Amino acid sequence: MKRLNFTPLLLLSISMAAQNPVIRDQFSADPTARVFGDKIYLYPSHDIPVPEGQRKDWFCMEDYHVFSSENLTDWKDHGVIVTQNKVPWVRPNSYSMWAPDCICRNGKYYFYFPSAPAAGGGFAVGVAIADSPEGPFICEPEPIKGINGIDPCVLQASDGNAYIFWGNGRCAKLKENMKELADDTPKEKVKWGDREIEMVGVNCLKDLPNRQAEGPFAFEYNGNYYLTYPYVRENTEVLGYAMSKNPMGPYEYKGLIMAEHANGCWTNHHSIVQYKGQWYLFYHHNDLSPKDDKRRSVCIDKLTFNADGTIQEVKPTMRGVGINKATEKIEIDRFSTASVGVTTEYVDTTNYMRSSCVNLPLKGSWMKYNDVDFGCITDGYLIINVKASDDTEFCIRENNAKGKVIARFKLTVRPPEPPAGGAGGGMMGRFSRDLRNQWLTQTATLDYTPKGVTDLVITNEGNGAVSVDWVQFKNRPKYFTPSTAQPIQPDDEGFIRRWLLLEPIDKPNSGNTVFTDSYLREHFNREYFKGQQTILPKDGQKVNAVFKQEQAPAGFGRGMGQAQPTKPEVKTVKQTLTWHALDSERFNVKLFRFAEKWGQQVYGVLFWAVTIIDCPEEIKDVRLAVGSNSASMWWLNGEETLLLSGDRRMVKDDAMSSRITLKKGRNVLRGAIINGPGMSDFCVRFIDEKGNPVKNYTIINNK
Amino acid sequence: MKNLRNIFSVAAMLMALSSQAQVGQPYIHDPSTIAECEGKYYTFGTGGGGLISEDGWSWHSGAVRPGGGAAPDVLKIGDRYLVIYGATGGGLGGGHNGRILTMWNKTLDPNSPDFKYTEAIEVTSSDGMEDNDAIDPGLLLDPTTGRLWASYGTYFGTIRLIELDPKTGKRVSGNEALDIAIDCEASDLIYRDGWYYLLGTHGTCCDGVNSTYNIVVGRSRQVTGPYLDNVGRDMFHGGGKMVIAAGNRVAGPGHFGRTVIDEGVEIMSCHYEADFDQGGRSVLGIRPLLWKNGWPYAGDRFKGGTYEIESERRGYSLELAVDFTRMQQERQAWFRQEDQQKPVKPVENQKLEEVIGSWPQGDIPARIGDYMFRPHQRWTITPVPEAGGYLGGPYYKIVIAGTNRALAATEKVEVTTVPEFSGADEQLWRIEQLIDGTFRIMPKVIPGKKGINTRYVLYSAGDSTPTLAEYDFNTDNSKWNFRDR
Repeated sequence: MKRLNFTPLLLLSISMAAQNPVIRDQFSADPTARVFGDKIYLYPSHDIPVPEGQRKDWFCMEDYHVFSSENLTDWKDHGVIVTQNKVPWVRPNSYSMWAPDCICRNGKYYFYFPSAPAAGGGFAVGVAIADSPEGPFICEPEPIKGINGIDPCVLQASDGNAYIFWGNGRCAKLKENMKELADDTPKEKVKWGDREIEMVGVNCLKDLPNRQAEGPFAFEYNGNYYLTYPYVRENTEVLGYAMSKNPMGPYEYKGLIMAEHANGCWTNHHSIVQYKGQWYLFYHHNDLSPKDDKRRSVCIDKLTFNADGTIQEVKPTMRGVGINKATEKIEIDRFSTASVGVTTEYVDTTNYMRSSCVNLPLKGSWMKYNDVDFGCITDGYLIINVKASDDTEFCIRENNAKGKVIARFKLTVRPPEPPAGGAGGGMMGRFSRDLRNQWLTQTATLDYTPKGVTDLVITNEGNGAVSVDWVQFKNRPKYFTPSTAQPIQPDDEGFIRRWLLLEPIDKPNSGNTVFTDSYLREHFNREYFKGQQTILPKDGQKVNAVFKQEQAPAGFGRGMGQAQPTKPEVKTVKQTLTWHALDSERFNVKLFRFAEKWGQQVYGVLFWAVTIIDCPEEIKDVRLAVGSNSASMWWLNGEETLLLSGDRRMVKDDAMSSRITLKKGRNVLRGAIINGPGMSDFCVRFIDEKGNPVKNYTIINNK
Repeated sequence: MKNLRNIFSVAAMLMALSSQAQVGQPYIHDPSTIAECEGKYYTFGTGGGGLISEDGWSWHSGAVRPGGGAAPDVLKIGDRYLVIYGATGGGLGGGHNGRILTMWNKTLDPNSPDFKYTEAIEVTSSDGMEDNDAIDPGLLLDPTTGRLWASYGTYFGTIRLIELDPKTGKRVSGNEALDIAIDCEASDLIYRDGWYYLLGTHGTCCDGVNSTYNIVVGRSRQVTGPYLDNVGRDMFHGGGKMVIAAGNRVAGPGHFGRTVIDEGVEIMSCHYEADFDQGGRSVLGIRPLLWKNGWPYAGDRFKGGTYEIESERRGYSLELAVDFTRMQQERQAWFRQEDQQKPVKPVENQKLEEVIGSWPQGDIPARIGDYMFRPHQRWTITPVPEAGGYLGGPYYKIVIAGTNRALAATEKVEVTTVPEFSGADEQLWRIEQLIDGTFRIMPKVIPGKKGINTRYVLYSAGDSTPTLAEYDFNTDNSKWNFRDR
C-alpha cells in the first residue's frame, strides 16, 4: 500500500497545451493513438526516472496512462490504467511495460501490452478489457498463448477479422474473443543466434528492410494495407512502411515515413491515425531528456498520402499540430520556422521538463509560430516572458517579419546610471536592478488584434539578443461601457455608476500626503478650463485646458537625499481633453483604468467628474457618501458639499456630507479627484437618515 | 571619562526601552510571522535576510532567506518550515508583474547542517496589467481543516486568496484565485474561535515619519470571505477595523503576524515604518494581541511605573504582610451644622517614611489585601535591561515604591520580598498582557528548579494569599491588573 498516497494525484486530470512534445509533465513513449467516438485517445508507454536497484541505462516503464483530447491541443491525463504489480502474470518490478495498443470491438475496449512474464522467457503480450476507453481495465490472468515478443498492434481489417502484429513484424489472426490466436495460426522454426526457436504467425517483413525491426503498426486505407515499422537503416531507427492488398501480406517496402532523429535518439515508435479528416503521425523523441534517450516524449505531426497511396515523408517539427487559443500560455519556442541563427535552448538545464526558450540573436532575427486563434480576444493585451542582453526592442507581428504589428515592446534592462554627484540614485534608483539576461514577464496592450486563426512572428528590432519563453494573450477586464441614452438608476446599493469623466489633467504629485485641506481648496478652485464649475458636458465634447503647473513637491517617489526644491519651477501647460459618458461596471469608478485608456498619464493626475441626477420629487435630509483615492471635493448644484483630504484610499462611505436636499428635477453633482501615485478611483452614493441607500432617482445621459 | 561609552550605551538602551520597539538592531521591513526554531526566534523581511533573537527581546540580523523580493511569511508545518515570498512586483524598479514562490527548510538556523532551502516553486503570479500585484503573501494553515491558504496583493488591485498543498507547498491543482479585499497590502490570515480574520495594512508606507501605515481587520465565518468589518462593511469595499495605529513615538505599523505563546497569551509582530527613538528607522515591533468581542487589537507594550497589583480573583491587591498603620484624621460629623461650615482640607496620602520604620528588616512575605493605596501596596516596576527578555519584552524588577524591597520567588514555590534587589533571577519577572487585557506575572526562575521558568506565575491561592502556581488562563487566580490609583 505504499503507493496509496500516489494514487489520488493520478486521478486528477491535467490539461496541457499543444506543440511537441505534447505531454510535458512526464515522459511518454511508443504512442498509439486511436479515435473512439469524437475523441482521440493516446495510449503511450510511460518512461520513468530509474528507481534505485534498476539499470540506469535501460528502459524503465512500470505502468500505462491514457490521455484524451478533442483538439490535439489539450490533452487530459486520465491516470494509470494498468500497472505492473497488479498484472497477475507480470514479473514484479520488472519495469518492462513496453509499447501498447488499444482497440474497440463489439463495444469492449481491448488493451494489449507486452511485459516480462513471471514465468520467464523474454516477453509476452497480455490483454486488459474495459467498457470505456479510459477504463477501468481488467487484466486477463494469463498472457496470449503463443506470442513471444513485444509491441502488439491489432488491425481490424475490412474482411471482418482482427489481426495482431508484434515484435519484428509477425502477424496472426485473433479469435473473436480477442484473447487467443486463431487455431490455424502457423508455426515455424526460426534461427535466433545459434539457437532454433519456434515462432507462431507469419513474418510479414521477412524479405524487406528489417534490421532490428520492431513496433509494427498496421492499418488499412483506401483498399491498401499498410505495415509501418521502425528499423535501423544505418545506426539508429527510422520509420519505414510497406504496403499490401492483404492484411498478412506479402508486403512491398515503399520507403520512409520519418528519417533518423537528428540528435541521435536511438528509438522511434509511432502510430498513424485519421482524426477529423486529417492524418497524423504520432511518434516519440527525447526532447525532455536530451542526455538520456531512454526517457522519451510523444510528438505529433501531420501526415499526407500521395494519390497512389504512398506516404510522404514527415519532417519532425517542434510546432506539432493543433491550433492554440490566443488565451493559452503558448510555448512559442516550439516555432514552425525561423530565420538563420535562431535557436532553442532549455531554460533550466537541471530540469529539462521546465521549459525551453527561443533565442533571437540579432536585429532582424525572427521566428514564426503557426496557427493561433484570436477568436477569443476582444480587448486584449499580451504577456510575454522574455530576457534581453541589453536595452532593446522587439515586435509581435502577424504572418511574416514585415507583417502588421500586434504589439511592440521596448525593454530597458540596464540599470540607470547613478546621477552625477553620487546623491544616492533616488528611491527608485535604489530598487532598480540590472535586468540584463533576467527572465521578465512583460505586458503590452495590442496595437492590432488579428481576426481568426493566424500565424505569429516575433521580430528582434533592437540592439540586444532577445530570448522568449512563452506568450499569452488575455482580455482586459471590462471597467466601463459607453452610457446609453436611456436613463439608469443607481445600483442596488445606491452607487452612482453613470459619470461624465474628463480625461486627466496633468498634475504631478509624488505623494498623497501633500493633499491638505488648504492645498485642495487652492488647487481645486483654480481654473483649469473654462466653465469648470458650470459645464454640463456631452460625450465627446472637448475642452482646452490651460493652467499653471508646479514641479512635483517632495514626497514618496522623490529621490532620497535629493535636495528639495526651494522654489518649485512653474510652467504653463495646455491640454486638449475630452469628456466621456461612461457607465462603470463596478460600484467604484476606476479612474486609473479610465486614465490608462484615454489619458496621457495615470499618476499625478486631476480628474473632473459630472453626473446629472433627475429626482421625481424633492428628497430631504440625505447625505452624500464618498470614498476616493486619493483626495476629492464634491459640489452639488454648485454648492461645495464634501471634501476628502489627505492620503486616502477608496473606502465605501469613507466621508459623509452634512444633511442636504436633492431638489425635484435636475441636480448636478460635480467632483474633482486628485491623485499622486496609486490607482485612482471613487465611489459615490446618497444615504438617508437611517443609513440606507437612496435610490428613487434616475441618472441621465446629457445627450 | 572612561565610563562615557557605558553611559552612552545604557542611555541608548533606556531609550530603546522607552520605545515600542525591540532592542538590539531590530531593523526590518515587512517582517514575517515570528517563527521559533530550536529555541531561537526568526523573522524574515523584504529584500532577503532577516532577524534572529535568542530570547525574543533582543534582535540582530543573521537570518538567511534567498530569493530577495518582498514581504515573506514563514510557517512551521510538521517538522519543516514553509517560506513564501514575492520575488518581484510591488512597482519596485519595475511594474506590477509579481511572482510568489514557496520553499521549504528543515531548520531556520543558518549554522545547522540541515539548513538547506528546497528549490523555490512559483504558486501564483500577476502579469502587471491585471488588478493585482502578486507580492506580500501571508499564510494560514486552517486548524479546522488542515488546508493551507495564502493571501497576497497590494493596493494595485485586489487582495487574493489561493490554496496551497500543505504537503508540497505547491498550488492546489485547479485552484482559482479569489478576490477578497481591496485598499490594503501586506495582508495576513488568522483563525480563531470559529472566525477567519483578514488583516490588511492600510495607509502609505516607505515615507519615514510621515508613513500612515496602519493595520485593519475584517472577519468571516468562511476562509473565502466575505470579510466584514465591525460595521458590516466588506473589505472588498475598503472596510476594516483598526488593530494598530501610530502612537507612543512609533509610526506606520504594518505587516501583521500573530504568534500564540500560550493559551490566552498572544503577541502580534509588525514593523513600524519609523521609530522616532531610533532615528525614524523601520524596526520590528512586538505587541500584546488582545481580543474584545471577537475582534483583535494591539495592546501597548508594558512600560513599567508605579502601580497597584490587583488580583483578578477578588480585586484585592498585592502587598507586604506588615501591620496596617492607621492614619490620623480630624473627623467632622456630617450632622453637625457648625462642622459643615469649616473649610475643606485635603487629606494627604500615607507616606512611606511614616510606616517603613514599623516594617521588619529581613524578608517580608507577600500577601493580598484590600487596596487602601498605602505604601506597602504600591509597587514600582522597572525594566532590567541587562537581564535579557522573552518574546516581546524585557524582564522587570518589582519593588515597593521608594525602596529596593523586591518581590522574589522562593525555593518552596512561594513569593516573598527581599530587602534589597540584587538582580538575582528569582527577583526578575516576566510580565505579559493576556488576550483579555489582564496580565500574568512570572518569575524568571524558581530557586532550585532548572532553567528559565515558563510555567509558574504569581497566583491567588486564596483571596488574601499569593503563591506561585502553574499558569491557567481559565482561572482568574492566574491574572493580575496594574492600576495606578
